[in-house]
Amino acid sequence: MTTQVTTMEALQKELDRLNRTPALSATVDKVDKIIEMLTSVKDQIVQSGMDTHVASMAITKTQNPIKSTFEKINDDLKGVTATQRKLGKMLDKHFPLKDLPSEHDAMADQEPLINRAISMHLLREGQFSVASTFIEETGDAASLEHVNAVIEGQEQANTSDNYDDEPMDEDDEDDEDQDEEEEEEEDEDEDEDEEEEEEDEDEVMSPLEGVLATGSGFQQLQSLSSLQSHELEAKFSQMYTILQDIKSKNLLSAIEWARSNSVELEARGSNLEFELSRLQYVWLFKGPAVNGLPDNEFNGTAGALLYARQNFWRFGNRYTGEIQQLANAQIYAPNLPESPYWKTFATETAFADVASSFTREFCSLLGLSAESPLHVAVTAGALALPLLIKYQQATRAKGTEWTTTNELAFETPLPERMLYHSIFVCPVSKEQTTETNPPMMIPCGHVLAKETLQRLLKGTRFKCPYCPAEGLEKDARRIMI
Amino acid sequence: MADHEASKINHDNHLLLDQPLLRLPYELLRKNFRSAHFTVEKESTTLNKLLKDTAKGSLDSKTSPEDVVKNLDTMIAKMRGMKRKLSTYANEETRLYKQLDARVAHLRELSDMHSVEDVKYEAWSRKRLDRLLVDYMLRHGYNTSAQALTNEREMHDLVDVETFLTMSNIRESLENGSVTEALAWCNDNKKELRKLQSNLEFLLRCQQYVELLRVNTQSKSVEAIAHAKKYLAPFQEQYPDEVREMTGLLAIRPTDNDLLPLKYRAWYSPDRWSKLAATFVEAHNKLLGLPTFPLLHTALSSGLSALKTPACHGTQKTTSSSQPGHSQTSMTTSVCPICSIELNELAKNVPYAHHSKSHLDNDLLCLPNGRVYGQAKLDEYAAKAGLPDGQVKDLVTGEVYSRVALKKVFA
Repeated sequence: MTTQVTTMEALQKELDRLNRTPALSATVDKVDKIIEMLTSVKDQIVQSGMDTHVASMAITKTQNPIKSTFEKINDDLKGVTATQRKLGKMLDKHFPLKDLPSEHDAMADQEPLINRAISMHLLREGQFSVASTFIEETGDAASLEHVNAVIEGQEQANTSDNYDDEPMDEDDEDDEDQDEEEEEEEDEDEDEDEEEEEEDEDEVMSPLEGVLATGSGFQQLQSLSSLQSHELEAKFSQMYTILQDIKSKNLLSAIEWARSNSVELEARGSNLEFELSRLQYVWLFKGPAVNGLPDNEFNGTAGALLYARQNFWRFGNRYTGEIQQLANAQIYAPNLPESPYWKTFATETAFADVASSFTREFCSLLGLSAESPLHVAVTAGALALPLLIKYQQATRAKGTEWTTTNELAFETPLPERMLYHSIFVCPVSKEQTTETNPPMMIPCGHVLAKETLQRLLKGTRFKCPYCPAEGLEKDARRIMI
Repeated sequence: MADHEASKINHDNHLLLDQPLLRLPYELLRKNFRSAHFTVEKESTTLNKLLKDTAKGSLDSKTSPEDVVKNLDTMIAKMRGMKRKLSTYANEETRLYKQLDARVAHLRELSDMHSVEDVKYEAWSRKRLDRLLVDYMLRHGYNTSAQALTNEREMHDLVDVETFLTMSNIRESLENGSVTEALAWCNDNKKELRKLQSNLEFLLRCQQYVELLRVNTQSKSVEAIAHAKKYLAPFQEQYPDEVREMTGLLAIRPTDNDLLPLKYRAWYSPDRWSKLAATFVEAHNKLLGLPTFPLLHTALSSGLSALKTPACHGTQKTTSSSQPGHSQTSMTTSVCPICSIELNELAKNVPYAHHSKSHLDNDLLCLPNGRVYGQAKLDEYAAKAGLPDGQVKDLVTGEVYSRVALKKVFA
């Protein structure tokens, strides 16, 4: 790690050293002096009983002092402007202006979509009041009803303790009912067997997707309608409430959510429900001294055991090993830190960990990315921008516009975690595969882009460019990476 | 590794979006100084003259002591006015320096971070997003939202609410058919506008003239002529064609709109006002060194492209996309932000990122259905799904296959 001074460090140092006197405030005091002088002249004349001689003497004598005070004010101004000039030089030196792309704004006509992205971002950040102000101000869903919903949502978020009698579950059921209705309307022909797993899976995605993603008609695009934002609002508010609970080490609402979505979660291969229940066991196990919960039969090692008996049966055979560990720990209860199970019982990061898995699962079930897409995009934007500007400067003469092509003409490397899809670049053509030019696996297991393969064809045969194998065109198969 | 390199923060280039953050307070400091300077110059001249005249009159016995006192009262009142104005400028100066310090401190925080994986960077970057959001809201006139977010995040020193509120007031007054506020602004920034060769003031004067003609009465026409002599004639050299058009307008009554030649008709068109508003905004932003469009646009168009892959808008299902009606696995990192509803539509028309190297999992295996996954992921998913040893489950479709049916992929 270099200890090189960054430009901002240098700028801050110089800025701290910048002598900012005289400031404009110095001139104010001097104007006060002028007012005093004028007032005193006036007083002299009035006190003299309006004597002509006194008047002309006093006013004449005051001319020079006032003039020189004005000169001092001008000196102050010179000082102020000199400071500013220094500041300007500092900025030019340490933070020289670099041109941003300014010729073409690819986002210019996208206001409704950007607004929608912002609304959703604010909602998922738990900024419910700002979100409702924004939605109202953009006219995307201006209705009093919505504002009420927001307030209710906040109240829910604030009174997160009584999740037990929260209308959360009812909300969920409402959503599901709606989805079912929608689906029935959409596929009237389909057998209305609700037990079918496929349909269950459909439901997983539906609450938001159904409302937001069906069709891209103008009306849909234009806004989050009151209903849509209300629903989103309710969803994010639920997420927020549960996250707040987890933060305050209360897992019950999260467990309840996971339980009511256990089919979907299991289909995703998520073990969130178990993770949460296990942590609940561990947390109870630690007893009132650590968890601060009431000291009764539902707490401590006995409480944990009771909890396990009541709840762990539902995990069946899937987590037998883990459950055995949890139970075995009972034996070591007095000095757990020395037991082989200590790791399982460490809770320093456990709550933060389940909070982030919870967020991921919750958002995924809604078809949403776990991190705010807007935040990821803007961060990626800041990383890619220098390259984009460099490219733009290089091609300005040619008049090519980077925003109008299919693929960027230059690489914009992003950190690993910002690569969400697998990327296959054909080793021969060096082109990224797309739907029209998909990756093809040839019999020897090597992969080429379809267009590359076609160029290699001699009749119906080809030779693999990487190994001695030969193959037939019909044996190459399209794969999905 | 390339990835490690990509995570590094390049301190020389990471603050491109943040240039206006420091430039604006600097420009405002200069503007504030000019106003203060103008006030001092004007008031000192007036005061010195009045003082001199009064002294002279008093010596020559032309001015009575009563009149001297009266003049003194005038002078005192003037100085009080000057003091008021200078106090305002002094406060503004203090505010702007405070803002500048806060902003430099905020940008300097980045110096302690070396990788975008740094937790501190996450917080910093979130703050930057909030700043960009406020900037976006202000530029679109969503002022209440901008203020709400500013309050919520307590970042008053990092955003330019006042500047944009002033701007949006003037813009709105233009959209509502009033030039007064915009003309006052032109007057405040006369010299700088001239330097920028802005035609804003001229266009505003033309509009005033057109409005007089629109009334279409004798007296207003006379007024229009007077207006043209006073305000349009000085622009004759600079904008000869337009000035000629203006005089031409005199000859044609606005009621004959349909008969008017197009270029004349345009002057009467109601959308002149929104064009004036746009011209004003452009001049305003140029004058203060603000980018022409919201920084959020710049960040998004570059970020959406950098993140976008051909798969994001494809019909194929992949593990990171999120079309409805499909089960998702939590084996993948997360739903891709471009595939997420928030941005999918928005990213439709931007180019996708260029990659010269594949980015794939290790030990790829091809399932009989043509889907390819890394072995580790298949193993993990099989374990989580509680499958017997010899089986794997497709992460996207949920189909179960025997391991024997898998084929190694060399990609």
